[in-house]
Amino acid sequence: MTTPDQYAQAVREALAGHPDREELLEDLDDHLAEIAAESDIPLEERLGSPAAYAEELAAAYGGRPEGTRRGRRLTAALTGLRAQPVYRSVAAFLPELRPGWWVLRGYALTMLLLSLAGEGRIVPQNPVDLLFVVLGVLASIWYGKRTKGRVLVGLAMALNVAAGIGVFAGFVEASSTRGGEDGGAIAFVSQRPANVLMVSSGTPGSSDIYNIKPYAKDGTPLNDVYLYDQDGQPITTSPGEHGFEVDTSCGAPVLNRYPLPLREITERPFDGQDRTAVPSPTPCPTATTPPVPPVSESPTPKASSTR
Amino acid sequence: MDSSQLLKGVLDLAVLAVLSERDGYGYDVVRRLRDAGLEDVGDASVYGTLRRLFKAGALNSYVVASDEGPHRKYYGLNDAGRDMLGSQAKTWNSFAATMASLLKEGHA
Repeated sequence: MTTPDQYAQAVREALAGHPDREELLEDLDDHLAEIAAESDIPLEERLGSPAAYAEELAAAYGGRPEGTRRGRRLTAALTGLRAQPVYRSVAAFLPELRPGWWVLRGYALTMLLLSLAGEGRIVPQNPVDLLFVVLGVLASIWYGKRTKGRVLVGLAMALNVAAGIGVFAGFVEASSTRGGEDGGAIAFVSQRPANVLMVSSGTPGSSDIYNIKPYAKDGTPLNDVYLYDQDGQPITTSPGEHGFEVDTSCGAPVLNRYPLPLREITERPFDGQDRTAVPSPTPCPTATTPPVPPVSESPTPKASSTR
Repeated sequence: MDSSQLLKGVLDLAVLAVLSERDGYGYDVVRRLRDAGLEDVGDASVYGTLRRLFKAGALNSYVVASDEGPHRKYYGLNDAGRDMLGSQAKTWNSFAATMASLLKEGHA
């Protein structure tokens, strides 16, 4: 015989899509217990099937269009399935897995977003990744505990994820390009065609950087790479502050062509004659690289590469 | 004529009328409606109507603990509910009078 609890649960499931389900069924359990206490006649005999009861309830309450005949048959079939003991035991166990799902969901979504924003990865690669994962898991748990509905939550989540991907990708990229400001390190260099590199940030003139060694994506060292800032101004360093000077043995050096041919100043001469040369990191350029367009015609750094 | 169809249109009024006598909990309202002659009234319809009227702000509710059985949620009319009852009763009386008159003329 169906107990009031089982009957109420079946009604609850039959109304799974109802927007006011919790409000509508707030005291259904007590109500059904009252009816059951009055007589020994089984509830299904007195009230009809849970699916029919749910349908009548929804019709009286309003707020949901009455389903088609086919839809009602489907609902009745599902209600019958839900009455099976196996289904009930599984369904009773599932809520216990919910916190685990919240954690997994938070982790997976965070890693997905991190992967979309940068390199694809499934485990955190650095402390920043880890921080985002922790925040993502906490947010997921908070969201899971906050919501009671089921159907609309899925839709809301899909929208949130879509919005989150955009915001997150922008945030991560922005943070990576800003990261070098404090230390003066160049954080974001992207290779352009024709060996032109663009540097997005950094303050070379006042930093610890006195030379730049560009490499191609495949690890090949690049020579004679001209660097300009967003305004087309040459990016130069101050090797002299670090005990180096630009080798002038190949002629007047171009100060924004990297790597710079530097040599160490071992002794500060008064007349500039007595110096000990060390091997230059790069040989003299064999061919004259066409000068990069003048400042007034900036080398058109594209916004997408220098954000 | 199927009286259950008629009942659908006036269930709000019937429930409000029952509660205007005295407060009642869900199954108590069902029994009182049946005792009054509306034997076909469905339990789920009454329960759904009570919840809708409550949501609409026409009823107040309070829980009474019970030593023997489940707790009972009692419903009663508030001012908005009494206004609703007055308005719907007026509509019903007018409608019923029209129908009575129509039927009377038809027989005449």
